[in-house]
Amino acid sequence: MTDEPVTLTIDGKEITVPAQTLIIRAAEQLGIEIPRFCDHPFLEPAGACRQCYVEIEGQPKLATSCTVRVAPGMVVRTQETSELAREAQVANLEFLLLNHPLDCPVCDRGGECPLQDQALAFGPGESRYREAKRVYEKPIPLSPLVNLDRERCVLCARCTRFCDEISGDRFIELFERGAGERVSIAAGEDFRSPFSGNTIQICPVGALTSETYRFVARPFDLTSADGVCPHCSAGCNLRVDVRRGQVVRHLARDNAEVNDAWTCDKGRFAFRYPDDPARITTPLLRDRGLEPASFGEVLGWVADRCVGSRVAFLTGGRLLDEDYYALSKLARTVVGTNDLDHRRHEGGAVEVWAASRPMSVAYADVERAPAVLVVGLDAEQEVPILHLRLRKAARKGARITVVHPRRTRLHDVAAHVLCRPGEEASLLREAVRGAGPLASVVEELGAAGGAGVVLAGERCSSAGAEAALALARTAGARFGYVVRRANDRGALRAGVHPRLLPGGRAVDDPAGRAALAPLWGDALPSTPGRGRRAILEAAAAGELDVLFLIGIDPLTDLPDGALARRALENVPVKVVQSLELGDLEPFADAFLPAAAPVEKAGHVTTWEGRRQRVEPVRGPVGLSRPDWEILAGLAAAMGGDLGFETLDQLDAELERVLEAGLGTPDAGAVEPFVGPDPRGGEEAPTAADPGSLLLFTYPLLVDEGRLSARADELKAALQDPAFVEVHPDDAARLGLAEGAAALVTTEAGRAEVPVRLNEHLAPGTAFVPFNNPGLVAGTLLAGSFWIPAGLEPATVSRAREASA
Amino acid sequence: MTEAFPGGAIEEARAIIARYPAGRERSALMPLLYLAQSIEGYVSREALRAIAALLQITTAEVEAVASFYTMYRLHPTGTHVIGVCTNLACKLRGAVAVLEAAREATGVGSSGHGVSPDGAFTVHEEECLGVCDHAPAVQINVANHDEVTPERMRELVERLRAGEVPTPARGPAFASFREACRALAGLEPAPPTPGGGA
Ligand code: SF4
Ligand code: SF4
Ligand code: FES
Ligand code: FES
Repeated sequence: MTDEPVTLTIDGKEITVPAQTLIIRAAEQLGIEIPRFCDHPFLEPAGACRQCYVEIEGQPKLATSCTVRVAPGMVVRTQETSELAREAQVANLEFLLLNHPLDCPVCDRGGECPLQDQALAFGPGESRYREAKRVYEKPIPLSPLVNLDRERCVLCARCTRFCDEISGDRFIELFERGAGERVSIAAGEDFRSPFSGNTIQICPVGALTSETYRFVARPFDLTSADGVCPHCSAGCNLRVDVRRGQVVRHLARDNAEVNDAWTCDKGRFAFRYPDDPARITTPLLRDRGLEPASFGEVLGWVADRCVGSRVAFLTGGRLLDEDYYALSKLARTVVGTNDLDHRRHEGGAVEVWAASRPMSVAYADVERAPAVLVVGLDAEQEVPILHLRLRKAARKGARITVVHPRRTRLHDVAAHVLCRPGEEASLLREAVRGAGPLASVVEELGAAGGAGVVLAGERCSSAGAEAALALARTAGARFGYVVRRANDRGALRAGVHPRLLPGGRAVDDPAGRAALAPLWGDALPSTPGRGRRAILEAAAAGELDVLFLIGIDPLTDLPDGALARRALENVPVKVVQSLELGDLEPFADAFLPAAAPVEKAGHVTTWEGRRQRVEPVRGPVGLSRPDWEILAGLAAAMGGDLGFETLDQLDAELERVLEAGLGTPDAGAVEPFVGPDPRGGEEAPTAADPGSLLLFTYPLLVDEGRLSARADELKAALQDPAFVEVHPDDAARLGLAEGAAALVTTEAGRAEVPVRLNEHLAPGTAFVPFNNPGLVAGTLLAGSFWIPAGLEPATVSRAREASA
Repeated sequence: MTEAFPGGAIEEARAIIARYPAGRERSALMPLLYLAQSIEGYVSREALRAIAALLQITTAEVEAVASFYTMYRLHPTGTHVIGVCTNLACKLRGAVAVLEAAREATGVGSSGHGVSPDGAFTVHEEECLGVCDHAPAVQINVANHDEVTPERMRELVERLRAGEVPTPARGPAFASFREACRALAGLEPAPPTPGGGA
């Protein structure tokens, strides 16, 4: 097989394409559209629908252009120049329509249906078929999200190939054969894949339809915009559809650099939050009994309390780059504090590294890598599209090793090394010395000649993440730090961090401050500020006057349980800037209504460091405003000036700061932070008490997070009530049984949850989802996402309490 | 996870899986379907699930294979399974009359899943058996019989009823469908069970 480009002729036009190109793709490059159903650029060729016939000179029969690869000197005639090909295509369309119900008027796909479109463009006007059509019960649910109408199916196998080749979740298959062939699911099984919705989008007819979009709209009713998913750092490109002002659908936009043609089900189905009735779109003031007030009034009130006060800012991870930059600048130049943080996890020196570099590992690097080491990341649940890219790499032959306390859904394509949270650092250091279970991985990465990839999830301890970076350097591999929330990386880059200015410059580095001086002035606070936990502690101790909560609810979103509550109880002024108040209603003194992601223009940064532009699909609802505008307004109310009045001005400044290298330290200068790792050093605490396990947690994909509000179908499909997972050996020792309730006790709190046994869990650990119905795991935590916990059967503890 | 197999045949199932290299366990899918069929006479839903669990694939993947091939039966069968090819060549050579003869002689109705009231026979239509040059073709317990006429069909049924094992056109013959499936799973014939047999 040679890789020489191939020259061939299609419809009399010569074209040169890379070897192995399919005829149908080569024709596209010439602007010739060959009709097709089963062909999909991101799936393997199948030749299932027979629609794409072309004539190839010298071949006795017509060929399917989606399965035949180009050859030098090949002469191809499509329907444009070959009567034979045209007749075959017309005949095939008539054949595909034999049993088709032609119920377009009640079909969700009507108006954007490849079958409808191509039948109109290429098909015969009439069918010669007069007999009875095949009839099926319609539609049948494959899951709470996906419905199947078998009468409309053209058996193209796109959906089943997606589940086989891309997600690996083979819950649907073609059953039977011949005239009885149909897409089906095994009785009693659910289409429980977090990628199920992709099959709906790629179905070339209305056979697979979405429960959330059933009978909701026609394409001509919709207004659409190019968005980026706000749910995780994968950065999936979305098309956001609005009907009469309400968001009714998210679709994947093709972007081969990022999400190929896919999204996960959360990105696709959790779209109702901007229209949640709990949303508040007017400013509120506690002084007025939380009654609506004007923006000017509330900003003035807040500004008065900020001037000369001890102020701190906590944010979530889903604001835009522009919002974070405005906050970073407001805090430093107007309020004069470094007490600001967006993080749930502290990554130490690796954060400097991630804040100062645009892109070190891109999706394409993952796909091309011959060897990948993934540490501290459950990609399917945390960054699902990265999970698909890892699977794609595996299909191309990559050797993937996952170091994680719990087996992940990569288990069929990757080796897993189960390690207790916090033990990554010692494992990785051992590997660098050529010992331990990962020694061969270092060799594989080294042998990849610079193409190997090491990915460290944000849940690694800072020592673990640093060890992963060191390992990558030793092996000459690329290194990526994988944060979870949609714009955690953008927040890091913009310096929403107590020690880092935009671009990763340390606040206590005079050179860094000097570099920013032309834009930020020369009076920046120079002592490192408080991080998240320290801010909460200061608040609880009465050492803060004003606490800003921007797009975050510390009661549920942070691993600080009781401390967050005490903090809220002890800060005199709590300013909430968000879509809604939620649990914070009893605490908020002022509320500033933020615009929803679908209402804002700006940029988001993927985990890779790629900045992507988003466009609003509608304007901010009510009086809500983009966060950066609110912050600029506050600066003005405090007598300051952020120096930009429009998004374009802000973007120009931000680009200057990030992309022109202003404020970027030189590549080598990554020194570990001094001071103790907030999560107790590199080693996890060992459980002294034999009844105690190391409890760890992270959010599963579909949880009770606020952006999943009203995504009921999604939750019905993919969410379970809270549980605690235990290794069977530990369960036997502790008397815990599958399904029975366990009492989990930590220094921060206690909870009763049903037990699940998982033999693929690091022994000595226990896992609870971070925020599934029935348990807010933050209430069990004290600052980090793992903690020693006692587990015992709930019945035993109840009996003990009863007798006491 | 507790591993199980219909009829308690978990050891035999494991032995079949062990024939294939590590990482290629799913190659055991077809023999396991035969094993299940040799025990229950068909592939039950429990069998589909058990095989999926053993091979760590989804039930849908198992069912897709089991429903594609007509030699796997997804509904209970009689002792003897008679498949009459009604594909083009055989149909042109009188297969429909052969099928009717088979149904009539065995007492299998034309509806439902075709088990005779005495439980001795199942009759179903087959797709092309690949011996069109000897059409119409019939399979009895997986063994091929060539150029079968309605008279010959009736005679074959009588001989099966009498406990004989008619000699097929080629290859081995089996005394029952379950025995045939056991051989197809690549296993030695099961030791005779007291009071058992066809
Ligand atoms: S359901 Fe749609 S995608 Fe799946 S085989 Fe049928 S037509 Fe193709
Ligand atoms: S993978 Fe992440 S970015 Fe993509 S759709 Fe899912 S939640 Fe959204
Ligand atoms: S598109 Fe070529 S066979 Fe379906
Ligand atoms: S058609 Fe009956 S064997 Fe081929």
